Amino acid sequence: MQGRVTSLPSEPPRFFKRGPSPIARLTFFGVISLALMFIDARFKTLETVRMAIATVVYPVQQAALIPGQIATSIGEFFDTRAELREENTRLKADLLQASLAQQAHVAARQESERLQKLLQMSQAANIKAQASRVVYLGRDPFSQKAFVERQVTQTFEPGSAVVDERGLLGQLTRVHPLFAEITLITEKDFAVPVKVERTGNRALLYGRGPGLSPELSYVASNVDVKEGDILLTSSIDGLYPANIRVATIASVQRSAENPFAVIKCTPTAGLLSADAVLVLDKPVAPPPRPAADVAKEAPSKKRR
Amino acid sequence: MSFLHLPDSPLFKIAKPEDILLAPKPWFVALTLALAFTANLLPLSGFALALRPDFFALVLLYWAIHQPRWIGVGVAWACGLLTDVVEANLFGQHALAYAILGFAAGYFHRRVLRFPLWQQALHVLGLLLIAQAVVLVLRLMSGASLPSAALVLGSFSSALIWPIISALLQWPQRVRSLLD
Repeated sequence: MQGRVTSLPSEPPRFFKRGPSPIARLTFFGVISLALMFIDARFKTLETVRMAIATVVYPVQQAALIPGQIATSIGEFFDTRAELREENTRLKADLLQASLAQQAHVAARQESERLQKLLQMSQAANIKAQASRVVYLGRDPFSQKAFVERQVTQTFEPGSAVVDERGLLGQLTRVHPLFAEITLITEKDFAVPVKVERTGNRALLYGRGPGLSPELSYVASNVDVKEGDILLTSSIDGLYPANIRVATIASVQRSAENPFAVIKCTPTAGLLSADAVLVLDKPVAPPPRPAADVAKEAPSKKRR
Repeated sequence: MSFLHLPDSPLFKIAKPEDILLAPKPWFVALTLALAFTANLLPLSGFALALRPDFFALVLLYWAIHQPRWIGVGVAWACGLLTDVVEANLFGQHALAYAILGFAAGYFHRRVLRFPLWQQALHVLGLLLIAQAVVLVLRLMSGASLPSAALVLGSFSSALIWPIISALLQWPQRVRSLLD
């Protein structure tokens, strides 16, 4: 079953119908791709298409996780008794610490509620949280995403804050029927309104892209911030509940020619290592802004 | 020392362009594409992710070079769209990159097959780098930040495993041709 073909004609004879030429096809599909990209980036109208395909492909995604799960379970099988006991002791100690903190917290909150009632201030509502698990991390090298699983009964809402045990991870950006996508706080131009725990100064924490540390922007050089300060959410946009840990300040550079300090921060949450996470419901919407302000405000560019 | 002679057997040799093999089964082409797509979904991150070969693009290139009548610009484009959806990034970026791969493979397929496998791998490297450059330009235009330079390692590792992929994908055809 071997034959020799000495030469092949470079073009098939005209009587073989082969449809449009490759270059015509490439142009056609290229134009469609560019149009899709434009529509996706500008109008966000392709979400339903994306959601439909993503739901169909989800079982394949799950299948790809199996090798990793097998490796993990083999690793767990060989965990020694000593390691498990050690972990158990550590967890018990953590629990004790947490329950002590919890008791103090409950007392403090009751007191704060009483005081607020006396002052007739609106009360800070209890934030509801739904537990979930990070299934896998996004593979896009240009932007960092994590994917969490979603039970059908869970009501995830795009825009909700996601936290792990150490702090704020990011925000839900797309909610699919079986999973949801978190945009992490290191995403480029992702802004979190924060305040410095020590001083209460408010600022904005901007992501710089994967692998780069987020920075506090527009903080004047003379403002009191120093290395090691802890940043909490300030709840100023009504999106994140107040007082969630976000980052610690890693370095502060002040220079004479720059009116603003360059402040690099390290996120406290394990952005790439988080496993169990909580999806927090959005806090009660703040009262609408006065009409005069809204009219004056220029239409702001909305970012994902 | 008989195992050393195994590679001499026609079973372990890559067919020359003038060898005529039976056409692959369409289900085999579809299955290998599906497996490569799944392999791309392995939950890696960080450096391992940058180093991971783009299995889907490789298998797509293989079939576009060996069966240009079946796998061309259109199929490659659809595969790219699928990649865009599962990676949750800009709709159409991989679609365009893969469509270009499909076109280039169709354009070069007679030329590429004349070369020994390692030189084919160099062609593949060039094509994959072009595809990555297309994605890079599109993402930078849409406002993303520059990713780490380790990203290009993926194209090099892909080119490195091209001979293995080729031998694996051709294996059923060679067996069937031998049995005839």
